[in-house]
Formats: sequence, structure tokens, C-alpha cells
Amino acid sequence: MTVFVEGDLQMVIDDALDARRFDGPGHGMSHCMKAVDFIVDLPELYLFMEFKDPEHPMSRQVDRQAFVQSFFSGEIDEDLKYKFRDSFLYEWAAGRADKPVRFYVLVALEELTTFNLQARTQSLRSKLPASGPSSWKRPIAEDCAVFNLASWNGRFPDFQVSRLSTQP
Amino acid sequence: MTITRIKLENFTVFESLDLEPSPGINVLVGANGTGKTHLMKVCYAALASSGDGGPASNFYYKLRGCFLPHNRNLLRLIKRGDPDKTAWLDIFRGDSFVKGKLHKSIGGLTVLAGAQASDDWNFSPLLATYIPSKDILANAPGFRSLYSAREVHFEETYIDILDRAYLPALRNPGEFVPAQILEKLEATLGGKVTIHGEEFFLSDKQGEIEFTLLAEGLRKLGLLWLLIRNGSLRPGAVLFWDEPETNLNPKLYGVVIEVLLELQRIGVQVFLATHDYVILKELDLQTEEGDKVAFHSLYRSEETGEIVCRSTNSFLQIHPNAISEVFDSIYDRDVRRALEGIVK
Repeated sequence: MTVFVEGDLQMVIDDALDARRFDGPGHGMSHCMKAVDFIVDLPELYLFMEFKDPEHPMSRQVDRQAFVQSFFSGEIDEDLKYKFRDSFLYEWAAGRADKPVRFYVLVALEELTTFNLQARTQSLRSKLPASGPSSWKRPIAEDCAVFNLASWNGRFPDFQVSRLSTQP
Repeated sequence: MTITRIKLENFTVFESLDLEPSPGINVLVGANGTGKTHLMKVCYAALASSGDGGPASNFYYKLRGCFLPHNRNLLRLIKRGDPDKTAWLDIFRGDSFVKGKLHKSIGGLTVLAGAQASDDWNFSPLLATYIPSKDILANAPGFRSLYSAREVHFEETYIDILDRAYLPALRNPGEFVPAQILEKLEATLGGKVTIHGEEFFLSDKQGEIEFTLLAEGLRKLGLLWLLIRNGSLRPGAVLFWDEPETNLNPKLYGVVIEVLLELQRIGVQVFLATHDYVILKELDLQTEEGDKVAFHSLYRSEETGEIVCRSTNSFLQIHPNAISEVFDSIYDRDVRRALEGIVK
């Protein structure tokens, strides 16, 4: 099993899956390009994954509040949009834009309801964007979705995420 | 004293309901057919027949007018199924009460066995206002005379709300309600409501716009403004509002909830029936410490198949929440689409 750690969140992935940390020392372009946290290479798709952890036990209350504000105001979409697009361009330049890409965002904030997640998913979909004019041969993003911890783990049995601070 | 207890047995969809509402805002949520409107109408009928000094059976006449059962037959309000059932309708304001009974005797004869009411119920009026889900103000001219002269199949709540809306303004509209509430509504409306003859207008700097040309959402805010200004909504009054969100732009929900919370703070008891998540969320976000807000979830019990009610003071504890369940389902289906081919 491969274990990826992002702050207080830990994702465990089967070795058979080709997954890599993208936003790390090997990126080399962080001075001018944003980056999603992880990329998973599936036979037919690339999955871009971004983790947000406002409930990190070490995070300050003021930062948590700022994050909540940016989530509910939709400001967070701007950050996510550029992370996705820059990562897409990076991969294109590296010759790895050969399959459709989907973008999945995990927001580890317990208070989020399905209404909130649905609203962010819909908004992000229009901003990436997940569809374009008829002249486009392929979409920039095939689709996207925003999850909280429970909905992520409920839908991704192969990418289970847990909180390190609550582990024995 | 506002409504403190509602006890219904074998009435319309209710086999047995015993509810102690909040003296502040009561939000009724539930799928269609779970009795939200029935619950509000029976309470309104009880309050609207209070204080007239007449017999308690006036409650029945008001029930007839509000529910409009076929052939005005009140027995049709008895829960269907068992023909020998008796419906009980008990509404309390502290020690004051009205108790109704609808009973079908042997042979199917109509028997309305004595409604009882405490003396103070009969002689101490409680101001109640019922805002139906559909607007009538735009069609007001001539409606009252038509209603009084002809058998028109309109629920009495429509004529009642017109009567309330036509009431002249108080000499000092700010006597009961903080002036900023009216100002807030005026700012949102962009003017004030005026009445010429029986016709309503929105009056602003550019002139007067008749209500038929005004968006229904704004007409609703205009009605609220009138009711506050004429004292219909003042301390001790009860407001029933069926689906305030109908034809209201969601951007205006915040103002409506702000006004309702202010009314609650001065002692108006409010009952809202809603299907709208944003209404619930606005309440959740705008509620301050000391506000009295209760959510009553009406649903059909899986065990008995009967309508039951679960109450909570917390937005997050509303369960079952028919409104949230819709979003759960939409989110679930949407995410499933975004995960197509990845997750089995």
C-alpha cells in the first residue's frame, strides 16, 4: 500500500494504482504555477485530487474561519480553478495530457451539508470549465466533484482518507 | 398568550398529534401531504373565532371556511378510514382553550358535538393573520363584494387576508414594531404600498405601480409591510404563513427572515410551512441568542404509516428533513455522474 500524507490527512492507495504526489519538491515550478496535491493515473483517465483541511488540529481558529468564509462565498473556486488549470498545463507540457482529466476536491470540514457540497461542485464545474464551445475537440476537465470526508470515503473505497490525529 | 399546545386526533391526515409550539418562530417542514397547511389552518380557525363572544361553535364555521370541505361537510375533515371515528381538535393558549369534536353518529347523521371554549377564549381575542401561499392582493378589487354576495369557491383565508390588508395604518406605526423593520421593507420594495379604492399600488419616486404589474415576490413584501404598519403583526399576535418562498426570489428570503425574526423578538408568534432549504438556512444563519425558533418535521412513520411530528430547536437536528433529503439525492446522483467508470 502507498500512503500519502497531506497535513493531518492520510490517504492509503493500493500499490497496483499509479498515484503520485504532484504538489511537492519535484514539481519545480511552484514559483509560477499552482498544483493539485495528487494525480492518479487510471487506464482511461487522470484523476486530479486536492485536499483542504480547515479542521487540521493545529490550524488557528482565524484561519479556519477565513477558509469557511472563502468556501461559502465561492472564493475558493478561484484557487481550485487555477490549481486545476496550472496542473493541467504542466501535465500537457510534460506530454501526459493524453487522457480525460477529472478533478476531485476533498474538504475536510464536518459542517458541510450535501447542499453546500452540491453548490460548490456545480460552481466549480462551470469555472474549470467542464464544458466549452462546440469547436472544442475535448473538454479541459471531464468533470469534477467536491466532497467532505464522509462522502469521500463513502464513494472511494480505493482511496480511503483518515485523520492522523485521531488514529491510535 | 400565544398558542402553547395543539392536540389533534383523527383530524384530516393526523391520527394523533400533540405539539407544543415555540412562542417564537415555528417552522413546519415535511413532504407534500404531511399536514403542514392543515395544522396551520386549524390553529388559525381556532384563533380567528376567539374573542367574538359568540358560541364556541363559531370555531366550526371558521373551519368550514378555511378548509372548504365538499358540500361544506365538516365530517369530511375526519381522518378517512374508520367511519365511526371521532376527530378531536384541542388548541390551548396557556389555560385558555377551545376544544372541538367532529363525530359521525350511527347512520351517518352529522353530529357536531359541542365545541367547548374557556371563557377567556370567547371574550379575549387573539389577533391571528393567515397569509395563503398564493397572492390575492393583485386581484383584490371587487373580490370582497363578490365573496359576500356569491358562493365562490375560495378559502376564507383569502378574504381574511384582504380584510387585514385593507385595515388603515396605525396612528403611530412604530408603536409596536421597530421603525427599522418598516424601513428595511421599504428599502427592499423601493417604495411604500398605497391603496386607492380596493386597488393596491407600490408608490415610489416615479409614481404608482398597480399590483397587477408588480412581481408577486414584491407583493408579498408589500403585504408584510401593510400588516406591520396597520398593527396586525404586533406583540401577542400570531402569524401563519404558508410557503413564503412561493414566487419569491431567493435573494429576498434574507429580508423576509430578518423581518420575521424581528417580529418574533417583539412577541409575535410565527408559523411557517416551507419546502425551501434557503428559508431554513437563512433562519439558521440569522438566528441570534435568545431567539425562539423551533423546527417541526412532519413525516409518515415507517412503523405505523401515520403522520408524526418531531421537533427540535436546532437546524442541524431536523430529522427527517424532507428538504435536505432532496439535496442529498441530487448531490448523490451528481457525484455518481462525476465518478462514472471509476467507482463500481
